[in-house]
Amino acid sequence: MRRSTQLNRLNAASLARWVVMTALLAVAGLSYVYLTLQLHWLGDRQKAFETTLAGLRKQNDVANVQIAALTSRSALQRRLKEGYLKMVPITEQNIVRLAPVRPAPEENAIRPVANDQVGR
Amino acid sequence: MRWNGRTRCALVCICFVLLFSAFSFRLVYLQLVKHDKYAGLAAEKHVYKQPIYAERGVITDVNGEILAHNIPVEIVVADTSHITKEKVAEAVALLSQELKLDPDDLAEKLASDRHYIVLKRDLPTSAADALRAKLREQNLRGIYFEHDAARLYPNGSMLCHVIGFTDFDHKGIQGVEASMDEYLRGQDGYRYIEHDRAGQEIVLYRGQERAARDGYQVHLSIDLNLQNIVENEIDAAVREYSPQKATIILMRPQTGEILAMANRPDFDLNQRNTAKPEQMKNRAVIDMMEPGSTFKIVTAAAALNEKKVRPDTTIFCENGAWNYGGRILHDHHPYGELSVQDILVKSSNIGAAKLALSLGDQKFYEYIRRFGFGERTGVELPGEINGTIRPPQNWSKISITRIPMGHEVAVTPLQMAVAMATIANGGKLITPRVVKSITAAEGETVSEFSPSVVRQVILPETAKQISNALRGVVSDRGTAAAAAVPGFVIAGKTGTAQKVDPHGGYERGKYVVSFIGFLPADHPEFVGLVVLDDAKTSKPELNYGGLVAGPIFSRIAEKAARYLDLAPQPDLIKPTAPGRVASTSASRH
Repeated sequence: MRRSTQLNRLNAASLARWVVMTALLAVAGLSYVYLTLQLHWLGDRQKAFETTLAGLRKQNDVANVQIAALTSRSALQRRLKEGYLKMVPITEQNIVRLAPVRPAPEENAIRPVANDQVGR
Repeated sequence: MRWNGRTRCALVCICFVLLFSAFSFRLVYLQLVKHDKYAGLAAEKHVYKQPIYAERGVITDVNGEILAHNIPVEIVVADTSHITKEKVAEAVALLSQELKLDPDDLAEKLASDRHYIVLKRDLPTSAADALRAKLREQNLRGIYFEHDAARLYPNGSMLCHVIGFTDFDHKGIQGVEASMDEYLRGQDGYRYIEHDRAGQEIVLYRGQERAARDGYQVHLSIDLNLQNIVENEIDAAVREYSPQKATIILMRPQTGEILAMANRPDFDLNQRNTAKPEQMKNRAVIDMMEPGSTFKIVTAAAALNEKKVRPDTTIFCENGAWNYGGRILHDHHPYGELSVQDILVKSSNIGAAKLALSLGDQKFYEYIRRFGFGERTGVELPGEINGTIRPPQNWSKISITRIPMGHEVAVTPLQMAVAMATIANGGKLITPRVVKSITAAEGETVSEFSPSVVRQVILPETAKQISNALRGVVSDRGTAAAAAVPGFVIAGKTGTAQKVDPHGGYERGKYVVSFIGFLPADHPEFVGLVVLDDAKTSKPELNYGGLVAGPIFSRIAEKAARYLDLAPQPDLIKPTAPGRVASTSASRH
């Protein structure tokens, strides 16, 4: 009776220590693997975002180029010639005057565009 | 020596020590001495320095209107080692159709065993995306796409000689694209990356990175509104007179800023591959011409500045023919006594020759050089030439009578415009500028070009005297009444020079006609130069600077004055504006 007690006695503290240590090691290892995979996954996501961003930039550049081409002086003049655009004479109330108006000596004579409303 | 156990043991130990010492030394040698070499070799296997391309800077006019910018495109390349023989025919059929390439050429290229063949450059991104989808659909491998950017010029041929263009390697080779290449180019960046077996980047192992610095924006002094006026008028002149070449320049005399510059023939910047070399020359800076009578401003300015004469000093003009050095010098009309002012107004060759004689060879030559002739103006345009001004020791006996009227010298149109700007600017010679400022993409100014005075060529009083005399040129008494602009006092000078024959002598019946002027004469806002080489008029007597170039200047100056909001003088406004000199009508001159 005494011998069997001696043989089967379990050192709970030691066992617990080993179990905890093993578990910690396992968690550390799994965490390392998980985090490494996360890093790779995030890296792939970063790359995907960069690709998307580059694509958007490219689209933006193309759109800017198209805007510049369509609003360029040559394009607008071509449109004007083709009749797509029309020049409307500026009416008196839409003229911004930079200096007092000089009386024109005769009709249709050239004169500067001047603004007598500045400061009012 | 006895080989007992201890001795043998010691011997074995020594051998081991030597062996491991050798290993240790080798290890130290490899790890320390040769570290960089082998680390580099290892890195080559899996580390790749990925370039980050900088975007070329934008060129704008003075108001920020875009003149040159970039469009993303793709380059299609093939690696034939990745294309199986069975798939070549399929690839040829698809690529020849999509890329508009010759099928035979393409088949030949794909049949070779090269790893890098450029099939098509400047493919629009939309077309590249469509091709990529079709390649995926047909499961074709070995065709790859590289990102690139093409230079685009929204205004086509407008201002083509000033803007210039780049080669396929994005290096500026003409115009501002070439002269400002250092600023426009930017600086490529890089990133060290590692890739896996499939060639995909492992972002986790990204190494050192340096961002690209995009090229700076170059802002020109050119005003596209004025340029448009000039382009329309030069086109009208080409239609009317069919000149071999034509040049028009507008510049601001106080700052040297070039406001507009146009040449004919010209070319479309977006289709420059089809342009001939003759079309690509910026004749304002690389073409030499004999200036003719416009050069008389230099002669008169020199004589007045040296106090050899006063504006009202009279000079006998020999009634139209003067024998000097055994050669007869003629005036267009016979004149007797003319004041120095009237020598310019009537454009007397004999009067100008006598003014130069009063100065002497050396002094006259000195003034020619002081006005900037014979050296580059320093404008930011590549290929500018010096012109040809021979030193007095190389002059013939009659040179002193021919150079004052603009013969025996070769100048560029820009040099002539700068000389007139010197008169308009109170005698100060200013370096002409076509670039106003350079800014970074974020907007901060990198460089700003302020006016640069080269030298005081003549006294301000002398410049004023010449300016007063030049007003008479654009009057009913002068040679350029048709250059007048209603409401403004203009100072100007006409020039009509017989064309120099490249084989020697002059070409009969061919002339370079020109007009240079500024307005308003009191406070000049701009100087304008119009030069037409070999204009075709219906009658030879119409082929004069005042009759051909003068009216062109008038129309440009009138529109430019309106655009610049210059106030006209009401008392100078006439009911009718000068019309175009009809090449078929003799009534206008």
